[in-house]
Amino acid sequence: MKLQQILRDRETWKGILIILALSLFIGTVSNSGLIRKFLRGEYRQAFFSREDYPGLVFITLPEMEELWHNQAALIVDSRSVPEFRSGHIPGSISVPLEEVKGGNSSLLDRLKPGQPLIIYCEGRDCLTSLNLARLLHERGFRDLRVFSGGWEEWVAAGLPVEKEDDAIQE
Amino acid sequence: MLLRLIVGGVFIWAAVTKIADPLAFAQDVRNYRLVGQSLSFLTAIVLPWVELIAGVCLIIGVFPRSSALLISGLLVFFIVLVAITMVRGIDVDCGCFGTFSRKANLWLILEDSIWLAMSLVLLFSPANDFCLLKKTS
Repeated sequence: MKLQQILRDRETWKGILIILALSLFIGTVSNSGLIRKFLRGEYRQAFFSREDYPGLVFITLPEMEELWHNQAALIVDSRSVPEFRSGHIPGSISVPLEEVKGGNSSLLDRLKPGQPLIIYCEGRDCLTSLNLARLLHERGFRDLRVFSGGWEEWVAAGLPVEKEDDAIQE
Repeated sequence: MLLRLIVGGVFIWAAVTKIADPLAFAQDVRNYRLVGQSLSFLTAIVLPWVELIAGVCLIIGVFPRSSALLISGLLVFFIVLVAITMVRGIDVDCGCFGTFSRKANLWLILEDSIWLAMSLVLLFSPANDFCLLKKTS
């Protein structure tokens, strides 16, 4: 049978439509609880259930700024080393997720589970901060804040920037 | 028949692992950084069921041509998606089999190409006697 024949056959499209409609129906019905939560505004920053990650919260720029001013938490930069070197939030330390996942777990030795941590990455679409937070949560850290606006929002707000790489321990 | 069992079975298995944890799959979709939060969520709600129903249809022989076309289309999409992700230099887990997922890399493209070849054989082969709904015309 030729592709043209298959594509011209109404039966083919009828089958596809039925499969898609059925999937949409069952998917919606079986996930109605999750859909309700999503419509209420949950999972807008990350897809995880808060019950599974107690102690992991997202913070906004004003909250981030206040915590930074008060030096109330250790700030962790999850971006790559070159990105960190080209500029970072003053006082932050570099813990690149890619290196931690690559097996360099000594980078985590500087962090203590009881310590409040703020983690950030590039901003917008970046996910390394959240993924590092999840990894740390699995290792017993329970005071984790993810600054979703990240580096881009920090710079756009005209807040201080540090370019030294004193905080890197290689 | 064996080919239908293999391809359908793989899709059913892939679907079940995703249906078991829709949020984890939604995050896997989001990690590709191609679509936003809402579309990732919608994909995680619907796509696993498309895989499951298409897989079941292929095995039992209900709309076998439609399911083979749908599965082939999905595989082409997965191959293109992994290739784009590699070109963009994004390091992600493929999200193909829930917690059994592995990196989206060249091997995955190769593996998907093998599944695609199998589903194309099914798509272009004449309807066989194991189908529940046989075409009479």
